[in-house]
Amino acid sequence: MMTNQTLGRWGRPPARQCEYLVVSFSPFSAPLRQRWRNNGVSADFLGDYVKAFLPAEINHAEIQHAVAFVANEFLENAMKYHECSVDIPIGLRLELTSEEIALTVSNSIGPAQAERYRDFVANMLSQDTGDLILARMEQGADGSDESASGLGLLTMMSDYGVELGWRFEAQPDYPEMMTVTTSAVLNLTNPEGAA
Amino acid sequence: MKTITGESFEVRTEEGRNVVFFKGALRLSGSEDYAPILEMLKGTLSEPVATVLVDLRDLDFLNSSGITMLSRFVIEARDRTGIDLHFVVSEAIPWHLRSLKNLQRLMPALKIRLN
Repeated sequence: MMTNQTLGRWGRPPARQCEYLVVSFSPFSAPLRQRWRNNGVSADFLGDYVKAFLPAEINHAEIQHAVAFVANEFLENAMKYHECSVDIPIGLRLELTSEEIALTVSNSIGPAQAERYRDFVANMLSQDTGDLILARMEQGADGSDESASGLGLLTMMSDYGVELGWRFEAQPDYPEMMTVTTSAVLNLTNPEGAA
Repeated sequence: MKTITGESFEVRTEEGRNVVFFKGALRLSGSEDYAPILEMLKGTLSEPVATVLVDLRDLDFLNSSGITMLSRFVIEARDRTGIDLHFVVSEAIPWHLRSLKNLQRLMPALKIRLN
């Protein structure tokens, strides 16, 4: 059985002033096709939402787009890989402080899939992001979605300066399930987006 | 003129002109859904041509599956001889220049026009 683990950047210093917004989706409420459309609606909403809280000196359009891109990729991945046989919702959380914006998504997967994903993440973190993007694109030329997977996460790191972290945890209510939580942190004090 | 439309996007090409215009937000779910658009793009490579233009100026959003689709097209163009490929992008849309630099690494001869 896989034990609880964290990879990448995980955990932030407690902020005195933190505001957050949580969106939750039940796997039973709508089929994937129908749900897909809502990913864009939710992602655009979060992008618009953060814009209202940003200080004037930050490039609003850049941050709005970065949040919308990350939220959309997180939701797409969660919808694709979430274990739909159990009543565990997909959760998306947006957290704002004066220094950073953190987006986290959590979904449930089986233990074998969790181990494969953990190994994939560990491998991704051990290599140069720019080189990996090129390698993924070259592999993706064969047309398979699997070989193209990971490009969204790599794009977040490479194009948006996002720091990613992962937490794999056992599910107390469903011993046969793991919860994977992915976190993306955008630094506002020195954002890539405002460069 | 050939057009592919969805709820939030439009992709069109004009007969006899090797130009493909993108508009809106593209968030299709994978290579199968992107296949018709990739075919339209590859159609611009079917005859010996001097210049191929991909106009992204009105494309506000592209998910990672869409970036993968563009990279497949760029690899196809790169692997044929004599293709002069241009992407037309907008400075006002944050992802354009950032994400296209990776495509340019795939095909160094790719030209990016800022408009």
